[in-house]
Amino acid sequence: MDSPSDSITPDSIVVTTDLTKRYGSFEALKQCNIDVRGGEIFGLLGPNGAGKTTLIRLLLGYLHVTSGSSKVVGFDPEQDSVAVRTRVAYLPGDARLPRHMRGRGLLEFFSQMHPSGDLARSLDVAERLELDLSRRVAFMSTGMRQKLALAVVFGPRTPLLILDEPTANLDPTVRGEVLKLVLAEREEGRTVMFSSHVLSEIEQTCDRVAFLRKGVLARKLVMEDLFQRHRLTALLSDSAEHGGTVESVDLRSEIPEELRSRVERYQISAPGPHGRVVCIDTAGDLAPTLAWIASLNLQHVRIEPLGLHSVYESVHLGRSETDSHWAADAEKVTDVVGAST
Amino acid sequence: MIRLRDVGIDRMMVRKNIGQSSLLFSFLAVALFAFGWVRVWVVKLLDMGQFQTIIEQFRDYEKFAPVSFDALFTYTGRVGMTFDEPIVILCTVIWCVARGSDVVSGELGRGTLEMLLSQPISRTRFLLSHAVVSTAGLMALCLLLWGGMTVGIETTTLTETVPPPSIRVPFLGFELPLTNDEPTQISFPMSERVAPETYTSAVFQLFVFGFFLLGMSSCFSSFDRYRWRTIGAVMTVYVIQLVMFGLGKAAESLAWLQSWSFFNCYKPQKMTTLVRDGDLWSPWSFSTPVGEGMFPPMFYPGLLLVIGSVFYIIAVVRFQQRDLPAPL
Repeated sequence: MDSPSDSITPDSIVVTTDLTKRYGSFEALKQCNIDVRGGEIFGLLGPNGAGKTTLIRLLLGYLHVTSGSSKVVGFDPEQDSVAVRTRVAYLPGDARLPRHMRGRGLLEFFSQMHPSGDLARSLDVAERLELDLSRRVAFMSTGMRQKLALAVVFGPRTPLLILDEPTANLDPTVRGEVLKLVLAEREEGRTVMFSSHVLSEIEQTCDRVAFLRKGVLARKLVMEDLFQRHRLTALLSDSAEHGGTVESVDLRSEIPEELRSRVERYQISAPGPHGRVVCIDTAGDLAPTLAWIASLNLQHVRIEPLGLHSVYESVHLGRSETDSHWAADAEKVTDVVGAST
Repeated sequence: MIRLRDVGIDRMMVRKNIGQSSLLFSFLAVALFAFGWVRVWVVKLLDMGQFQTIIEQFRDYEKFAPVSFDALFTYTGRVGMTFDEPIVILCTVIWCVARGSDVVSGELGRGTLEMLLSQPISRTRFLLSHAVVSTAGLMALCLLLWGGMTVGIETTTLTETVPPPSIRVPFLGFELPLTNDEPTQISFPMSERVAPETYTSAVFQLFVFGFFLLGMSSCFSSFDRYRWRTIGAVMTVYVIQLVMFGLGKAAESLAWLQSWSFFNCYKPQKMTTLVRDGDLWSPWSFSTPVGEGMFPPMFYPGLLLVIGSVFYIIAVVRFQQRDLPAPL
């Protein structure tokens, strides 16, 4: 885990230092250190109960910290949560709205409540999400209420937007529209903190991601680095070396010296019905490794991005990233071969 | 100094709270106004003079009545009994417990507190904006009851039977008519006998009684996350206090219980009696005791006001300090 000062930059808009929240003997969040930089989309990932919502609620002053501290847009939520909320638009994970109001009335209400409120913009978002504003909240479906809450939250022009599972209860079309809205916010220079269980959404939108597990910040990741990681799976041709061995073999020692920093894994599986499967994981630019891969005399080569899922599993299931999916990928290759033969 | 932005937020919160409570208020307003009017009209239907002999036989039980029996033989006293009618108390309690319990545990239970507090409003202002609407609503309900009574007083015509002139025979103790005329009936507006302003202090008493309940409900609400539990807790205290008050009146040995019940501070009919026996300003005295062994009349509503305010202060402090759970 990073120390508090490791990654804090002058343009950090959210900084937490050893932030801890304890309920009796239960620690909902343990010494969490994160920094969110201005103008980025920051993802929070973790299973239910990992501490994502607790972290967000501490940042907004809903909860009082047990120890540690935080600064949000330059203010300590423990000292002045009103100043924080003046500069933050927040969508709760389960956004519930006053049921006696009609959609339009509710947007008017919230746009006048917030000093940065913008009714025209809220109405525009509502229109983009195809929301019927004439209905009372009480008669709206869960999805409609979520859309209405999104229209409320995207209205104010605050420097920071915190969205706790914004696409929950939405259909795929609207989900896509919401992600576009999130990306548009970044284009306009706003910072977005985004919590979700849907890995593909995080992959599509976020610049950096923090993984939480059992209240602990387990891992931070720059998405740009993740996108540069690939897994190659292929069948070893009969003429290739190592064809005679029976066990799975780790061949990292055979990686050329100049590529060792780029190749994290080079492994050959035990012989299967269609032969032996080679798995190579690369990090960074793929181009320099391609010539070496070509020299390995492989068949049925398949290259795919390593993906957030493997990192997620490594964090939450305790497997190493390169181990995760290895067996599944090997099976895929042999399935393809089986089908083609 | 209050910033202009905060005024805007307060205004929106007040509007939201008005919208949220308007339906309940409308029903209670109609009920109290109509009841005030009808209750006054009912006074004319009963000629209490005819029941005087019967009532006199129950003098031993006068202590259980909220007003002296003598007051029942006057129009002012009988109209003043309106403030002790169960319907009036019930409507007041409904408003105060419903609104007071809503402020924190109600919003938490509905899950709406999360979105509302995501706006730049402090918890204190949030709670106080709710308190302002609830208190103003309570005041309006009390005034509507008074308004209904005033309309009743102004529109009701009383009819009294005037017997022919007679003379009381000394020692024998009977009336000897001086003429053979039939008793005559005279009609006159009730406003000739009853002045609506007599009840200003009684209306104030009802208001502070409600304010106390509002404060207590809000206080309990700020500790809880379930509204049903808040209402249950408030009603438990209410019933216990009522039982204590009743027991204190019933048994001499338990009389001390009365002084520990907030019902002991609700004396609308006593205030009406003070007006009747003194002047309009008699119930507003801070120095002249109501009676032997009693405090000045303003002590009682003052105590309810102070305790109600203390409850509100506790509610604010607790609401500030507590963690707000995520919606269930």
